[in-house]
Amino acid sequence: MLIFSVFKTLTDQQVTVELKNDLSITGVLKSVDQFLNIRLDNIKVLDEARHPHMMAVKNCFIRGSVVRYVQLPAEHVDTQLLEDATRREAQNQVKR
Amino acid sequence: MDDSPPAPPAEQTPPPPPVAHSGSPTDFLKGVVGKRVIVRLNSGVDYRGVLSCLDGYMNIALEQTEEHVNGNVTNRYGDAFIRGNNVLYISADEAL
Amino acid sequence: MDPSSSGIQEPFDLIRLSLSERVFVKLRGDREMTGILHAYDGHMNLILSDVEETIMIVDENTAGGQGAVSVAKRKMDMLFVRGDGVILVSPPSRT
Repeated sequence: MLIFSVFKTLTDQQVTVELKNDLSITGVLKSVDQFLNIRLDNIKVLDEARHPHMMAVKNCFIRGSVVRYVQLPAEHVDTQLLEDATRREAQNQVKR
Repeated sequence: MDDSPPAPPAEQTPPPPPVAHSGSPTDFLKGVVGKRVIVRLNSGVDYRGVLSCLDGYMNIALEQTEEHVNGNVTNRYGDAFIRGNNVLYISADEAL
Repeated sequence: MDPSSSGIQEPFDLIRLSLSERVFVKLRGDREMTGILHAYDGHMNLILSDVEETIMIVDENTAGGQGAVSVAKRKMDMLFVRGDGVILVSPPSRT
């Protein structure tokens, strides 16, 4: 839930999603859901020479389970807020 | 009205559990907390250390951990958290 | 209550105590990284900053019999790591 919230705050920001098949896609984060499925707009594949079939694709839906990393815009991430929220969520896990 | 609850198999009692080896997997896991253990992962890598604690997913916290890859020590960690899905087995490395 | 002197009752405590510290993460696919831990959840999804990733690449077709291992490194400012790829997380050694 916490990570889902983080991604929601980053909508309309530029992110780079690296998939488990080594494909890296940069684009504008349009939406995200609880499974961390991701919709990207204005996409650009990093190594187009290696993935020529992606050149015509302008936007995409990425299933959360195939994601390895997402590079985030550091200037839009409040790390102190994240740590506090993480501690709070960890506390709630214990109480449940 | 009829009186037949599922009849217990009355003719014999089940054999007693082998208490000599102190019972269930859960009992084993309770017994090894605080002891030296070998954790083998699905990848074949071994972690030897003192088992701090573990949870229901078999996430594991180890202290004084050595990473062994086919017989050689490849890393040492003061503390290590191992994600449970990677765990093949936990083996006691000292008498319980 | 306390099984050991470290005051850790469940494995995730180890991770919680590492928030805002540099951690070492071992991942599937012969990848490792260090970074400053800012967030995690029960899946071991992580958010790290100031990340340096190391990828071990085994060269199959080297002449010398055993595969030579080459290492690729890269840095990333702020990174989300999906939990299903995580094998091990180790906090900085606090002695």
